[in-house]
Amino acid sequence: MATNVKSSTPANNVGHADRHWLLQSVGLTAVVIVLAVIFTIINPRFATLANLANVMTQASHYIIIAVAMTFVITSAGIDLSVGSVLALVTVIGFAFIKSGMNPALAVAIMFALGAVIGAFTGTLIALVKIPPFIATLGMMVSLRGLALLHSAGTMHFGLPETLTWLGQGKVFGVPVPVIIAMTVAVVGAWLFNHTKFGLYVRAIGGNREAARLAGVPVNLIEILVYSLMGLVTAIGGLVMIARIDSTQATIGTSIEIHIIAAVIIGGTSLFGGRGTIYGTVLGAVLLSMMTNALVIAGVDNFWQLVIMGIVVLLAVAINNLRENRIPVFSSLMRRSR
Amino acid sequence: MSSDLEGVREVLRVAELTKNYGGLKAMDSISFAVNRGEVMALVGDNGAGKSTLVKALSGAQPPDSGQILINGQPIELRSPRDADDAGIGCIHQSLGLVDALNVPENVFLGRELQRKRFGFLPELDHASMRAKTVELLERFGVNVSSLNKPVVKLSGGQRQSIAISRLLLQDVSLVIMDEPMAALGVDEGQRVMDLVSTMRDEGISIFIISHNLEHVFQIADRIAVLKNGRLVDVVETATTSRDAVIKMITFGSAN
Repeated sequence: MATNVKSSTPANNVGHADRHWLLQSVGLTAVVIVLAVIFTIINPRFATLANLANVMTQASHYIIIAVAMTFVITSAGIDLSVGSVLALVTVIGFAFIKSGMNPALAVAIMFALGAVIGAFTGTLIALVKIPPFIATLGMMVSLRGLALLHSAGTMHFGLPETLTWLGQGKVFGVPVPVIIAMTVAVVGAWLFNHTKFGLYVRAIGGNREAARLAGVPVNLIEILVYSLMGLVTAIGGLVMIARIDSTQATIGTSIEIHIIAAVIIGGTSLFGGRGTIYGTVLGAVLLSMMTNALVIAGVDNFWQLVIMGIVVLLAVAINNLRENRIPVFSSLMRRSR
Repeated sequence: MSSDLEGVREVLRVAELTKNYGGLKAMDSISFAVNRGEVMALVGDNGAGKSTLVKALSGAQPPDSGQILINGQPIELRSPRDADDAGIGCIHQSLGLVDALNVPENVFLGRELQRKRFGFLPELDHASMRAKTVELLERFGVNVSSLNKPVVKLSGGQRQSIAISRLLLQDVSLVIMDEPMAALGVDEGQRVMDLVSTMRDEGISIFIISHNLEHVFQIADRIAVLKNGRLVDVVETATTSRDAVIKMITFGSAN
């Protein structure tokens, strides 16, 4: 029997990726560039350096949170509670800082709170066996309630300069939030593709039972995934409030749709097992570009919501098409062949 | 018990294994042995007790009574982990692969090789796992179209081979295969049978459950026939006809 394993496979080391997914990333990159060109033709103001920096800065907290959401969705989960986590963590952190607490300590508390909330959500899902959709829906409502109990009707503002620098500062002309977002993306991609944790997340999302039989601690990994989600949401929240130098109990409402959209547009499978951090970053940038273009074009805020919803549904539909998950369409394709 | 140069000749011996489901005797005092480097087939109709026996040997469901000896040592198999530690590998019909992962990731899942990034950060050693996978696949003559593809995109035979390779990564002395050829085409089935012969040549014993007597007669050294939870007989493939085995399966005796 022929044993040409070596010769029949390219001698690259792309980890989990294969050609199909590389092509997809290239395709998405092309879409981003083409859209940027179209936006520029429609309105030359889009392509100004100031506006592009603006787009990237506005995308930064979405990128950060979407990187963690890529892990969650790849593990065959979902987290609808990110907006509420962001609100609760930032109002509490902001209040601590305004009360005179050392900003570094307040930030540490924010991060810890995010991680603990996430671990709790993960426990509900992994051990109490509440489906992720329901568990995080419950958390979404309850945490928003807590944020409102803490700060209803209060607009917090006036952070110390050390913190606003995180959202408004620049290093060699590059906005600090963009640097933070790229750092989170690079670390996230490493975790996702090059560590046991990332492999186990993909294994659980792909086939939980097979992973368990292979010795993967599936419940622990699931709890860690949501804990990471909470921690990273706190990081994203910090960057966001540092940029706008304010927060309130209603901040981050319906942010989850934006985050989930970025992940799915990026090519991560809603059915679990397969994801890409690079795609997620592109997806988040794409959405911010779109929002920015709509704002420049003077499109009404409410219409932006309508469009955002449609974009999410379209992204899922296209993903399903790509993964051959639409029976009617698949049988049509077979017949036409 | 006889022994040869390799020590104990019998890799597996089961003695008077019995399992009751309510009033039903799924296994009724089953005793036989599998020798080192031997392919033994297990045949029998639906309900003959094949699955119950496999569950007992893989640790999935312990028997009510009876004894299991691995390499001459009595052992209790209470979980799949116990079987694993005892050097018994089991391939179920579902294969236990993660479709979304590629070949080395599947082969090494749960036993990953790691290295240190920057001297302290543990990360997956993709290169080593890949090289070891290639080595393993070559040693057993397994041909895979691409190591980087998620295994869902590979053929049934290739997936079967990868599931087997997962076991061969460890020291196994006995591999139990549950209907390995059931969902495969002729060529693919032949490849898996070639792999079974290679494993036998390496001194691994194979216990294979199959409905397909053609395959069984082609690959097995001996055949154990079950009927209604009882062992009808263990026969040598070389000195038995297919008709005789069919009679044993159907009537519980060759005559």
